[in-house]
Amino acid sequence: MITSCFPIAGGRFEDAGAASRKLKEQLKQIGIAGQIMRRIMIAAYEAEMNVVIHACKGNLWTRLDGERFSMEVIDEGPGITDLHLAMKPGYSTASAEARQIGFGAGMGLPNIEKASDLFEVNSHVGKGTRVRATIFLKTQQVEQSAGRSLSIQMERCVGCFDCLKACPTRALRVWNRQPHILPALCIECTACIEVCRRGVFELPAMQNSNDLEESSGGAHTLVIPRALLTQFGSKIPPETVLAALRNLGYRDIRFTEEWDSELRRMVRHYAAEREVHPVISPICPAVISLVESQFPSLIPQIAPFVTPIQAAVEAWAPDTATFVPACPSQHTQLERANLSARLRIINPAELSARILSELPLQADTPARNQKSSDQRQSSGKNDPAVLEAWGVKNVVEILEQTERGMTGDFQVLELSCCENGCYGTPLFQENPYMAEKRWASSGLECERPVEVSSVKQPYQARAGMRLDADMDRAIEKLARIDELTAKLPGRDCGVCGAPTCSSLAEDIVLERCPGLECPFSPTGEIP
Amino acid sequence: MKLEQLIEVIEARILQPCGREGIEIARVFAGDKMSALLERAGPQTMLVTNLVNAQLACVAELMDCPALCLVGGAEPDPHLLEAAARAETVILVCRLDMFETCGRLHRRLYGDDSQQP
Repeated sequence: MITSCFPIAGGRFEDAGAASRKLKEQLKQIGIAGQIMRRIMIAAYEAEMNVVIHACKGNLWTRLDGERFSMEVIDEGPGITDLHLAMKPGYSTASAEARQIGFGAGMGLPNIEKASDLFEVNSHVGKGTRVRATIFLKTQQVEQSAGRSLSIQMERCVGCFDCLKACPTRALRVWNRQPHILPALCIECTACIEVCRRGVFELPAMQNSNDLEESSGGAHTLVIPRALLTQFGSKIPPETVLAALRNLGYRDIRFTEEWDSELRRMVRHYAAEREVHPVISPICPAVISLVESQFPSLIPQIAPFVTPIQAAVEAWAPDTATFVPACPSQHTQLERANLSARLRIINPAELSARILSELPLQADTPARNQKSSDQRQSSGKNDPAVLEAWGVKNVVEILEQTERGMTGDFQVLELSCCENGCYGTPLFQENPYMAEKRWASSGLECERPVEVSSVKQPYQARAGMRLDADMDRAIEKLARIDELTAKLPGRDCGVCGAPTCSSLAEDIVLERCPGLECPFSPTGEIP
Repeated sequence: MKLEQLIEVIEARILQPCGREGIEIARVFAGDKMSALLERAGPQTMLVTNLVNAQLACVAELMDCPALCLVGGAEPDPHLLEAAARAETVILVCRLDMFETCGRLHRRLYGDDSQQP
């Protein structure tokens, strides 16, 4: 393990960047390069500039071992009055001098968070600020942190707390009337999007809206979920939407579900040859995240294939294609596959808006395809060996039963977080069953040979939320959490902004947010 | 595309000869916010900006970015030249404004039909 300290002088723009430069030299000697180096440099430089811009002086502490790079930037400065505001992209208190040379765009802390796997900031007004960031050196571990594909529109939140109870992994908090996601716990299952009536949770906006322009045209391939074609009401059939997409310049349009069917077939085949049942199908990436983080004992039961969206991405490598994710977990998988910026990813809402502009006011409803063969021939509804289930609550229940060995009579579990599979993603408005029926009667169904490959890296347990990197301190913190939980009323009412009393105790001990407390006395009465 | 080809397209000049005109540039990113430049800079990337301060060279060095193009005919900060020389970053100055510079670069890199590579 290597520990280093690089001093940072506040206010001296001419020397700024020196600490990051020295750190880079050191890391280069150790052999760190590529994406990991990029991410470390983004985090280090942003943190260093924060000290230069806002504080009198500070230090960049770093620690490197075989698994991870951790840094801690501690400064003596004015501190941050409102941490939540400071984390909001675009908010800045930088001086005019700093702004003049391109700083103060309000992207510092958000950029550090984005570049790192674990991120934490604490601040005492009048004393100073501490920013901690950890970057895992192995891509496998990098991939373990999810929760990156949900963007929170804080101004829409009315503080109804519905999302707290909906989240199956207790990854949500409402602090100062604003929702926050603990990324290490989030499995991107869409439960919060589904339950929120105000639309607080959504896919992150695309970095550059021009991308949409650039991505169309030519012989470009577009891969979309089928449900996208069925979102425009009873008068606009899928064929018309398809024609609109062609007008937008996409010549070759494919559906994620093509790989779905192939995966289902392969998993059934795989399960038939295995002795241990049930086999969990990697049909829904959010379910896989859930197993990896909450049901690690079931990981060996996941069929070792890539998810449909990953298979679709592989089908186009190394050429370029445009993908429309159906949910945040698909978005994360696309982003991970996208380190080379080869793929284009379009938010379904943005593409829908473009489609609308291309649609005729009223289309002729084509004659329904009466023959529309057995639409769900590939589904598990009629196969006694396959248990198909939807909805986070059901999925959690079935996985719990599986952990207890109560589901051995099924060969395959095909579990999806959204109702009726991807037709039910809350990113789309249309009812999942109407959407599916419209697709099925469109006659667009065609079987094209596709491939689903085996996973490159076996599915692995996610570390989840560690209390502390240091084992002794983690044990001590655990004891404090238990002690504090015992003092709380235990009603799990959620009024404090945490889903349960033990979550609140954890938040207080880990100092996740200043000023947290239970609004009730230990007996549960209003004081 | 070679840097020298891009230089020709935008009628820019290299401030300090460094013998790196032949380097390959695959991407261009334009912006005036340090955080955005930092995030998008990388090997084979040229940054185009209205900024002229020494921190640009620092960002380029940290992110292994080979070339900076200062647009609008602005005079670079002397500290920028010093820092760039140390980091072996090529500094171009271009009298065209941001819009024109980016337009020409885009056409040269991606062609007329605005298709991405």
